[in-house]
Amino acid sequence: MNLISGIDVTASALNAQKTRLDIVAQNIANAQTTRGPDGLPYQRKIVSFETELIRQTGTSADSKPTQSVRVSSIQADPTPGTRVYDPQHPDASKDGYVTMPNVNMAYEMVDLMTASRAYEANLSVVKNARQMALKALDIGK
Amino acid sequence: MVDPIFQSDNTYQLARKMLDASVLRQNAIASNIANAETPGYRRVEVNTDFATQLRAKLESGTKDFAADTADIKPSLVEDRHSRSVRPDGNNVEIEREMLDMNKNTVEYDYLTEVVSRNLKQLKLAITGRA
Repeated sequence: MNLISGIDVTASALNAQKTRLDIVAQNIANAQTTRGPDGLPYQRKIVSFETELIRQTGTSADSKPTQSVRVSSIQADPTPGTRVYDPQHPDASKDGYVTMPNVNMAYEMVDLMTASRAYEANLSVVKNARQMALKALDIGK
Repeated sequence: MVDPIFQSDNTYQLARKMLDASVLRQNAIASNIANAETPGYRRVEVNTDFATQLRAKLESGTKDFAADTADIKPSLVEDRHSRSVRPDGNNVEIEREMLDMNKNTVEYDYLTEVVSRNLKQLKLAITGRA
C-alpha cells in the first residue's frame, strides 16, 4: 500500500520516457556521424515500450492488476542512409560517395515533443495523486 | 463499542466506500497514462456495477448499511467498450484520462470534506464545542 496511489506505475513511465528522450538526444547528436565503432555510419535507434505487471492492487481477487511500463528494446532503424557525393570526405568510398546516417531531423523532433509531452502528463498524475494524499491527511482537521 | 457511533450514519459509510473507489480509480488512470504509448495495452477502469450496486442498496433502505455493503468492493476491469482507433491496438485517449483524473481529484476532495465534517459534528456532539 502506497500513500500516494499509483506512484510506482507513474515512476516507471517517467523512466521509460526519459530513456526515449536520451535516445532522441543520441540520434540528433550523431546525425552526422559517418563512422561508428564498427566502421559504418550511425544507425538511428528506436525505443519500444512494453507493459509489466507489478502487483495486484485491487481489493478483490478478480480485479485487474495495474500495469507499469518499461523499455522492451532499443533497436537500430535498418533503413539505409542517404548517399552524398563528397570525394573530399575521409569516409568516402572509391566512387566519391559518403553514406550518411539515416537520422531524419523531422522524425527526431516529433519524437522529442511526444516524449516530453508524455513525461508532462505523467508528472501531472503525480501532482494530482500528491494532492489527494494531502487531502486524506486533512481528514478530521 | 465505538463502531455503532459511526455506523449510525449512512453518509459516513458511503463516503468511505467512495473514497476507496476513488483511490483505485487514481491507480487505473496512472496505469493508463503510463501506458499511453505501449502497443496492445487496453485501458483499465473501476467496474461500473460497483456504483449501481451501491445505489441499489442505498435506495432499498437498509438497516445496517456497513454490514450490507461489506461485499460490494470496487475492482479494476479492462475497458471492453471503448473502440481502439489506433493501429497498435492501444485504446488509451490521453485527453480523456486527464479529464477523468481531474474529476477524480475533485471527487476525492469532496469526499474527504464530507468525512471531515462528519467527524467534526460528532466531536461537537460529544464535547459541546467545535
